[in-house]
Amino acid sequence: MTQLIIFNVFNGLIIGAFYALMALGLSLILNLSGVINFAHGGFLAIGGYLAYMLIPYVGFWGALVIAPFLTAFIGLIVERVLIRRLYGRDPLYSLLLTFGLAYMIEDGTRFIWGAQSVPYQVPDWLMQPLSTEYFFLTGYRVFMVILVGVAVAGLFLILNRTRLGLRIRAGTLDLETVSVLGVNVRILRTLNFGLGIYLAGLAGVLAAGMLGLSPTIGTSLIMPSFVTIIIGGLGSLPGTLLGGLLIGVASGLTAVFFPSASEAVIYIMMGLVLLVRPHGLLGEEGRF
Amino acid sequence: MGRQIDKHTANVLVWLLLLTAPYWMSWVGGYTELGSRVLVMALAAMALNFLLGFTGVLSFGHAAYFGLGAYGAAMTIKYLVPSTPLAILVGVLAGTAAAAIIGAMIVKLRGVYFAMVTIAFGQVFYFITFRWNNVTGGDDGLTNWNRMPINLGFTKLDILHNPELFYYFILFYFAISVALMTLLLRSPFGRTLLAIRENERRARFLGIPVERHIWLSFTISCFFVSIAGALYALLNNFVDPRALYWGQSGNFVIMAVLGGMRSFWGPLVGAVIFVVLQDYVSSMTANWESFIGLFFVLIVLFFPRGVLGIIRRKATS
Amino acid sequence: MSLLQVDNVSRHFGSLVAVSDVSMMVEPGELRAVIGPNGAGKTTFFNLISGFFPPSAGSILFDGKDITSFPVHKRVAMGMARTFQITEIFPELTVRENLRIPVEVAVGLRLSPWQSRKSDTEIRARVAELMELGGLGAKADRLVGELPHGDQRATEIMMSLALKPRLLLLDEPTAGMGDQETYDITKLIRRLHKDQHLTIVLIEHDMRVIFHLADRIMVLAEGSILAEGTPSEIGANESVQAAYLGKAA
Repeated sequence: MTQLIIFNVFNGLIIGAFYALMALGLSLILNLSGVINFAHGGFLAIGGYLAYMLIPYVGFWGALVIAPFLTAFIGLIVERVLIRRLYGRDPLYSLLLTFGLAYMIEDGTRFIWGAQSVPYQVPDWLMQPLSTEYFFLTGYRVFMVILVGVAVAGLFLILNRTRLGLRIRAGTLDLETVSVLGVNVRILRTLNFGLGIYLAGLAGVLAAGMLGLSPTIGTSLIMPSFVTIIIGGLGSLPGTLLGGLLIGVASGLTAVFFPSASEAVIYIMMGLVLLVRPHGLLGEEGRF
Repeated sequence: MGRQIDKHTANVLVWLLLLTAPYWMSWVGGYTELGSRVLVMALAAMALNFLLGFTGVLSFGHAAYFGLGAYGAAMTIKYLVPSTPLAILVGVLAGTAAAAIIGAMIVKLRGVYFAMVTIAFGQVFYFITFRWNNVTGGDDGLTNWNRMPINLGFTKLDILHNPELFYYFILFYFAISVALMTLLLRSPFGRTLLAIRENERRARFLGIPVERHIWLSFTISCFFVSIAGALYALLNNFVDPRALYWGQSGNFVIMAVLGGMRSFWGPLVGAVIFVVLQDYVSSMTANWESFIGLFFVLIVLFFPRGVLGIIRRKATS
Repeated sequence: MSLLQVDNVSRHFGSLVAVSDVSMMVEPGELRAVIGPNGAGKTTFFNLISGFFPPSAGSILFDGKDITSFPVHKRVAMGMARTFQITEIFPELTVRENLRIPVEVAVGLRLSPWQSRKSDTEIRARVAELMELGGLGAKADRLVGELPHGDQRATEIMMSLALKPRLLLLDEPTAGMGDQETYDITKLIRRLHKDQHLTIVLIEHDMRVIFHLADRIMVLAEGSILAEGTPSEIGANESVQAAYLGKAA
């Protein structure tokens, strides 16, 4: 029994870390630009499919490095051409736009690669369990946790130790002042968007290895990201991280006792948080 | 005064067209069932617009209450009593009750955050209908039931086999809903909603309890959308989780925007265009979703005021 | 009994202290001015009185009742109305429509899903009355957002008046106005004070307006009270002059 619990909690932490990775990208974009990027899941899928295409040529590791950057690049173009026009306007329009993009990306990936899962090659040695006793500890899962940890650490490093990060953080608090101080806000938003999409692409490369790659991978993962942000609190990146881990562990634990409710529990948690602390656990009131 | 006459003429025209639709639809390449579908979607879009266009609140999860209306109706006929009026009643109760409860939970939130939460709640119900498959039929949907003929005592309305009759049945509910919405929007209460849309802070400092009124607007809006949902289920003799999917919520919004959020009939115009377009494109290609997505993008970029918004502009300039 | 009694209110935002231990008593029918350099906490003070956010410490009594925890709409219902530094009106509605809304709230119709003919006539009459008082009769059907600043401000003041308030809080009503508009608004405020016997608390920078209207003045600087007194007392007060440091007197 204990082993089952450990298994599920560990599993939950992995999933949670993963939700956090995706939600962090979403949160970055939301906090600075006020845009709900509903196409975030689409970019995750793009990341996965780009990796899938690259693996035969540069191997898994090469794809892991290249694919997120390529995805981010596509994100930069999307931001520059489409989303940028909508910043001054009612958030309704950017949400509708990203909705439309989400539709297009999901259908587009289905058109190009088919509706079925495609065979996604993760290096064999990674898929081996690390020990027979803890059979659930496959190398891949450990690798994922490590990579997510590195990515999150990298993100916090960028945000707290670089000039770009400083500007993003300042811009999140008061964009008008930042622009008056001479920062090019347009470029800042574009770079911030790119950073967020990089995280989505990375999440896609990793998710494909764990869940299998199909056109619906993005849309199936975007809702937990939303819930993560709602629970963790709007405007707070640590909150998003916390939210992700919490819902991951919660659904892991629930899987032990009430298997059929393990997906529902994240929505129940969301409901509870909204009742008790409507702005999220670490959220700031008056943020939106 | 001129504006009044034009509005009046427009209203008369709209009702004339709606009342005679089954007769002229085939001339334009349509069919009665398409007209019924347009009406149902128009009602849903107009219901959403009560909140979006007239109160200024961005809600992206209306498919949840639409779906509750649909499933409520379908499950009533299939499991409880094979009665169409009862089915509609149950569907509406389900959708409205859920909206009242959820609305109360989220009414302190604003802007994008509110929108996010409405989307999340939308998915909650999608997820429930998907998973609870022994009751709801899961992904396959709820089948083996159909709308029941209505026994009025002196006659029986065979809305099941007579598409024209069913069209008028839907039009009946549409008309009542529209009349109620108009009444509300033109009332002092309706004006407080406009105030909230125009300037929330000023509305608050005029003594309007903003959160309470937003909750009311949300609940009323979902009341009407659940009527549309119940009718939707009856129209198709079928309901599946797709009715609750986030895409459906997006569709309602795009219909309102496309037709013009600031005018009463805007969503009807938007629904006509969208439903017909969707019908046409999906018959042409399997990748119709890409086109719908592209459509969203183009409307947002180039046509945000919508059809009636542009016409209004031209009229006042 | 004072109409408004503010007891030792403070308000901080994190480590920033915006208002510190400020007290004020306003008698019915008085016109009190609150002045001070920028950043003195005047608008925050108004936000506390009107209920926009709660004080970190202290209490507020209106007509003897403790309203410290009351939400905005409750204070409005009790008779408090407020205008803002940047005019808050309904820009895409007409003057008539702007005024109709608070009139309906004032007669208790805000939740009413229908309109009787009788009340409709009464409401229209009241709206017309308010427009006359504010000098807006000729512009009744123009969109407020398109009117000159002075008329927007007049509309905002009339909207507040529509609520039949006992206390009117005006936050820099002449901000951004030229001489003629300032003169017109000052005249309007004076009329409201004298003819309608309204109690008014006024934040202003324009000293001509202050000296023309105020019974008493309270000076805020850096969140605390610097001085209080009649216009002539304040005019002669050296620390007040120093606080303004070069501001035109």
